[in-house]
Amino acid sequence: MSPLHVCLALSAALFCTGLVAVLVRGNAILVLLGVELMLNAANLNFIAFWRFGPGGGEVGLVFVLFSIAVAAAEAAVGMALVIAVHRHLRTIRVAAANRLKG
Amino acid sequence: MSIDYALLFRVLLPEALLTATALLVIGVDLVWGRGRSRGSRLQMAVGAGLLGVGVAALVIWQDGAQGSVWAGNLRVDLLAVAVRLGVLGLTGLSLLGLTGSRVSDQPAEYVALALLATVGFLQMAVAQNLLLAFLALELASLSLYVLAGYDRSRPESAEAALKYFLQGGVSAALLLFGFSLLYGMTGRIDLTGISMALAVHSDGSLSAVAVGMVLAAFGFKAAVAPFHPWAPDVYQGAPPMSAALIASAAKLAGLAFFWRIFWSGLGPLAATAPLLGGAGGGWVPVLASMCAVSLLLGNLVALAQASIRRLLAYSAIGHAGALGLGLLSAGEVGPGPLFYYAATYGLATVGAFACLAILDRAGDGDRIEDLAGLRRRSPLVAACFAVCVLSLAGIPPLAGFFGKFVVFAAAFRIDGLGHPAGWVALLAIAMSAVSLYYYLILLKQAWIAEDVRERGPIEVPPAAALGLLLAAGLLVVLGAFPSLLLGRF
Amino acid sequence: MLPASQLWLIPALPLVAAAIGAAAPRTARRLPVFLALAAITGSLLLSVVALVGALAAPAAKLTANFTWFVAGSTAVRLGWLLDPLGALMSVMVCAVSVLVFIFSIAYLRADPRLGRFFTCLSLFVAAMLGLLVANSLLLLLLCWELVGLASYLLIGFWFDRPSAAAAAKKAFVITRLGDLGFLLGLLWLFQATGSSLFYDGGAGVLEAGALERLAATVLPGGWTAATGIGLLLFAGAVGKSGQFPLHVWLPDAMEGPTPVSALIHAATMVAAGVFLVARVFPLMAADQGLAAVPVHALTAVAVVGSITALLGAVLAVAQTDMKRVLAYSTVSQLGYMMLAVGVGAWVAAVFHLITHACFKALLFLGSGSVIHAAHHEQDSRRLGGLAGRMRFTYVTFLLGTGALVGLPLVFSGFWSKEAILHAAELWPVSHLPFVAGLTGVVLTAFYMTRLVCETFLGRPRGEGAEHAHESPRVMTLPLAVLAVASVAAGWIGTPAWPWLQSRLTGAPVAAQAWSDGLGLMLFSTVLVGVGIAAGWWMYGRRPRVDARALDPLAQRWPRVFAALAARLWFDELYAATLGRLLRGAAALAAWLERWVWGGVVGLTGRVAETTGEVNRAIDEDGLNTGFDRASDGLRRTAQQYSRAQTGDVQGYLRAVVVGLAVLALLLIWGGVR
Repeated sequence: MSPLHVCLALSAALFCTGLVAVLVRGNAILVLLGVELMLNAANLNFIAFWRFGPGGGEVGLVFVLFSIAVAAAEAAVGMALVIAVHRHLRTIRVAAANRLKG
Repeated sequence: MSIDYALLFRVLLPEALLTATALLVIGVDLVWGRGRSRGSRLQMAVGAGLLGVGVAALVIWQDGAQGSVWAGNLRVDLLAVAVRLGVLGLTGLSLLGLTGSRVSDQPAEYVALALLATVGFLQMAVAQNLLLAFLALELASLSLYVLAGYDRSRPESAEAALKYFLQGGVSAALLLFGFSLLYGMTGRIDLTGISMALAVHSDGSLSAVAVGMVLAAFGFKAAVAPFHPWAPDVYQGAPPMSAALIASAAKLAGLAFFWRIFWSGLGPLAATAPLLGGAGGGWVPVLASMCAVSLLLGNLVALAQASIRRLLAYSAIGHAGALGLGLLSAGEVGPGPLFYYAATYGLATVGAFACLAILDRAGDGDRIEDLAGLRRRSPLVAACFAVCVLSLAGIPPLAGFFGKFVVFAAAFRIDGLGHPAGWVALLAIAMSAVSLYYYLILLKQAWIAEDVRERGPIEVPPAAALGLLLAAGLLVVLGAFPSLLLGRF
Repeated sequence: MLPASQLWLIPALPLVAAAIGAAAPRTARRLPVFLALAAITGSLLLSVVALVGALAAPAAKLTANFTWFVAGSTAVRLGWLLDPLGALMSVMVCAVSVLVFIFSIAYLRADPRLGRFFTCLSLFVAAMLGLLVANSLLLLLLCWELVGLASYLLIGFWFDRPSAAAAAKKAFVITRLGDLGFLLGLLWLFQATGSSLFYDGGAGVLEAGALERLAATVLPGGWTAATGIGLLLFAGAVGKSGQFPLHVWLPDAMEGPTPVSALIHAATMVAAGVFLVARVFPLMAADQGLAAVPVHALTAVAVVGSITALLGAVLAVAQTDMKRVLAYSTVSQLGYMMLAVGVGAWVAAVFHLITHACFKALLFLGSGSVIHAAHHEQDSRRLGGLAGRMRFTYVTFLLGTGALVGLPLVFSGFWSKEAILHAAELWPVSHLPFVAGLTGVVLTAFYMTRLVCETFLGRPRGEGAEHAHESPRVMTLPLAVLAVASVAAGWIGTPAWPWLQSRLTGAPVAAQAWSDGLGLMLFSTVLVGVGIAAGWWMYGRRPRVDARALDPLAQRWPRVFAALAARLWFDELYAATLGRLLRGAAALAAWLERWVWGGVVGLTGRVAETTGEVNRAIDEDGLNTGFDRASDGLRRTAQQYSRAQTGDVQGYLRAVVVGLAVLALLLIWGGVR
C-alpha cells in the first residue's frame, strides 16, 4: 500500500465519519462539526494528491489554504444560524426545527 | 506567462464596484442613518445598491466579451456577459421588490449582503478554474444562508436558514471532495487542463465518484431531485425577496457555473451509449434520469400544496428538471436555450415573489385562499402576478413558452428519441400540461374568487410597482421578440 | 385585392378591439361592444376582398413569410397564406360572428359584464381568424391555444355557476389532451423537415419535397413518419372538434351563454379541428400509395369520424335539454366532416363545414331566442306550444331543421351531405363510413323532429313557455339572415354546378350528369322521410301533455333510453380508467418516496393505504362526477406524497445521501471512462 493509498483511505474514513455525524447526531453543533470533518477530508485529499499524485506546482496546497478559510467562514455562519434558531426554540436539537413541512 | 493586469482589473471591475457599494451602504447607514426611520434607511440602501448594480452592468455591457483572461483562469465569453447582465438585472429587480416587503430592522446590511451574493454570482459566471469556482460558489452561498435567515421576528426564517445551510454545507463538502478527486486524477485545476487530461486517461470508479459528487452539488444548487428537499422549506420560510434571489439569480449563475464544469471540464466523461440495447455510460443519462424524476415529483406534489410559496417551490423543482434538460442539450446546441430559459424563469419567479412580498407586507397569509379578491384589492399586483404565473406555466406569447419551446426543441435536436434527452423532453411536455392545472388554481383565486373577509385595498410603494411592471413587461417583450436574447447566441 | 403580406390585418382588427376592451374601465360598457362590432365588420370586408383576390387565382398559394427568431442555426419562420380555403373560411367566420355579435347585444343586455363578454368574443374570433390565415403550423398552434383560452373564458363566463366553471375547466383540459398530440406532431415535423411553414416556394412541409421525404421515412412496423405526424396532428383535431373519444367536453360547453354556443358550434372552435385536417390534407394523404403502412392516417380519420357521426346522433335521441340535443347533433355532424376528410373528400368536408356553420348558428340562435323568451327554461319537456307564440323563431327554426336533416333539393345541408355520402360510397377500403352516414341520416331526421315537436307543438307545459313572446328585432334579424343562408349556401356546390369544388381544388371540376348519384339521393331522401315520419308518429301525433310524463321511447325501451340519457357513461368510463391510471402513477411515486424515507414500516402502511384507496374508489364507481373525481384523486395522492416532506432536515439529508448512492451506482453501472 503506497502512502497515497493510505492517505486516501484515511480521508475516506474521515469523510464517512463526518457524514454519519451529520446524519445521526441530534445536536446542531455536532452536525456542524460533521460538515467540517467532510470538508477537511477533501482538504486531506488535496494535500495527498499534491504530495504523491501526478500534479505539478503548488496548486493543491494553495487550494487547501483557501478552502480552510472558506470552512472557517462557513463555521461562523453556521454558528450564527444555530444561535438564531436557539433564540426562537430554546434548544439546539436539529429535529426540533420542523415547523416547515408538507 | 505574463499577465495583463490592466485587463484583469477591467474584468473584475464590476465585482470591485459591487463590493465597494456594499461597504459604502453599510458605512453610510452607520453614519447617516442614525436616528432616521427604517423606511428612509431602506430607501437609501436600495438606491445605492441599484446605482452600484447599474454601473456594474454598464461596465459589463461596455466591455463585452473579451475571451480568456488571466492565463485562462477567467473566461469572459458571450455567455458570461449575458449571465452577468442577467444576474445583475435579477438582483436589481429583487432590490426593487425589497421596497415592497416588510421592512426589517437592518435594511442596509440586507442590501449589502445581497450585493455580496451578487459578487459571487458574477464570479460564478466567469470562473474557469476549480478554486475560483469554489470560492465564488461559497461567497454566494454564505451570503444567501444569512439572507434566508434574515427575518429575526419569525422562527420559520431561522429554521429555513438552518436547513438551507446544513444541506448547502453538505453539498459544498461533496463538491470539494469531488474537486479533490478531479485534481488527483488530472493534476490540474483549470477546466481546460482537466478536460484534456480526462480525454487521455481517467480512472473509471474514481471518476464515477467524482462525477457523482459534482452532480449532487448541481442537484442541490438547482433543486433537482433527489437533492431538492431544502427548496420547499426555504421558499416558504425565508423572507420573500431572499427566496426570490435564491430562486432566480442564484439559479441562473449556478446553471452557467455548472455548464462550464460539466461541458468544459467533464465533457470527455459525457459519452453515452445508445439508450436502448446496452446500458448508457457517462453522466448524461444519469443527469437525464435526475431531470425526469424532478419533473415528475415537482409537478405532481405541487398539486397538493396549500401554501403559495411551497407550490412555487415544487413547481421550481419541476422547472429545475427542464433546466437540467437544457444543460444536457447545451453540449450539442450551445448554451443559448438554457440561458433563455433560466433568465426568463428567473424573471417570472422574481416577479411572482415580489407580488407575494407585497401581500406579506399587507399582513396576508401565504395560503392559496389568501389570494382571493386580489383583483379588487390591487389590480396592478393581480395583473403582474398573472403575467408571471402564466409565463411560468408556459402560455404563449409569454417568455416562458419560448423558454420551454427552445429547450425542448434543442433536446429533440440532439438525436430525437435516440437520446435520453428526447424522452425527458416528452415527459416534460406532458408535465407542463399537469402544471397548468395548479397554476390556474392560483390565477382563479387571484382573479375570480371573491374575498370573503372583505379586506381593504393593498398599498404598493412606487418603486415596488416599478419592479413589478418591469418584470411583467420584460416577460411580454422577451416573449414577443425572443430573438432579443436568442439572436445573440 | 389584399396582398398576402397584409393578411394579418384580418385577425389584428378584433385583437386590437379585444385589447382596448380589456383595458377599458368597467363603467364603459358600450365601448367594447361598439369596438367589437366595428372590428369584426372591418374584418369581414377585408376577408371578402381577400377572397376575391384568392378566387382570381385559386391554384396559387400566395404566401408572405418572415423570420421570427433565430436560435443558433435554427431559424423559426412564420407566415401568412392566402388561398381559397382560408379566405372562404374567414368570410364564413366573420359573417357568422357579425350575426352572433348582433344577437348577443340583445341576449346579454342585462348582464353587468357585457363589455367583458364582447372583449372575450373579440379575442375568440381574432384567434380563430389568425388560425385561418396562418401559413405556419407553429403560428396555427399559437392561435389554436388562444382559441382554447378564449373558449375557457367564455364557457365559464357565468363563473358563479359551479357547473359553468366545471364545464370550462373540462373543455380546457380535455382539448389540451388532444393538443398534446398536436404539439408532439409539430415537434416531430419540425425535427424531420426543419420547417413549420406550409408553403414556402418548394421548401414548405405541404409541398412535394418534404412530403416525399416524410413518406419515405419508414419506422418500425411499416409506419411512415407521414402517418405518425398525421395521426398526432389528427389527435389535436379530435380534441378540438369533439371527436370520439374526446367528445365529452362539447355538450358540457353548453353552460356558456347561448351566443357562445352558437359561435363555438358553428364558426370558431370546433371548425378549427376540421380546418386543420383540411389544411394539412396533403400530409395526411402522403402515405396513401404505400401498401406497407398497416393503417393509413386517413383510414383512422374515417373510422373515428364514422364512429363519432353515429355516436353523436344516437346520443342526441335521448337528450331533453334543447341545447344538448343540438350539441350532440354538432358532434355527429363534425363526425360527418371528419369522415369526409378520411375518405379523401376534404372539399366535401369544407363544404359541409360552411353549410353547417350557417344552419347550426341559426338553430343555436333560434334556441337562444326560445330560451330568452321562456325565461331561461331550456328543458324541452317544460316548453311546448311556442309555434303560435313565437312564429318567426318557429319558422326560421324549421328552416334550420330542414337544412340539418337534409330535405332534398332546396336546403343547403342536403347538398353538402350528399357530397359526403357520395364520396363515402365510392371509398374502396370499407363500407363502414357509408353505412354510418346513412344510419346517421335517419337518426338526425328523427331527433330533430322530436326536438321541434317537443319544443314548439302541443300546449305550454311550464311557466316560461306560457309567458313567452317573440324576441326583439335585434335577435330576429340575425335569424332571418341565417335562415336565408341556410337555404341558399348549398347552391354553390351542387353536382350540376360545382363552383365551390373547382375553386377549392384550384382545378376545374366537371359538372356531374344528373343521373350520376341520383339513386343515392333518392335513397337518402327516403331515409330522411322515414326518420321524420317516425319522429312525427312518436312525438307529433299526440304532443306531450305533462312535463313529467315518460318519453315514448323510454316507455318502449326503458333500458336503452336510460343508457342513452346517461350519455353511455363516457364520463364514468374516463373516471374509472384515466383517473385511476393517474392515481396509480401518483401512488407509485408516493410508494417509492415512502420507502426511501420511512423504511419498511412506512412501506407496509402505504401498501395498506393504497389498497384501501383503490377499494374505496371501486366502491364509489358509477357517480356522475367522473372528471372532477379524477383530478381530486390525483390531488389526494399528491397530498399523501407531499406529507413525506416531514420537516426533519436530517431526514432530507438521508434521502440526499441515498440519492447520491443511487447516482454513483448508476454511474458505475453505466461506466464512466
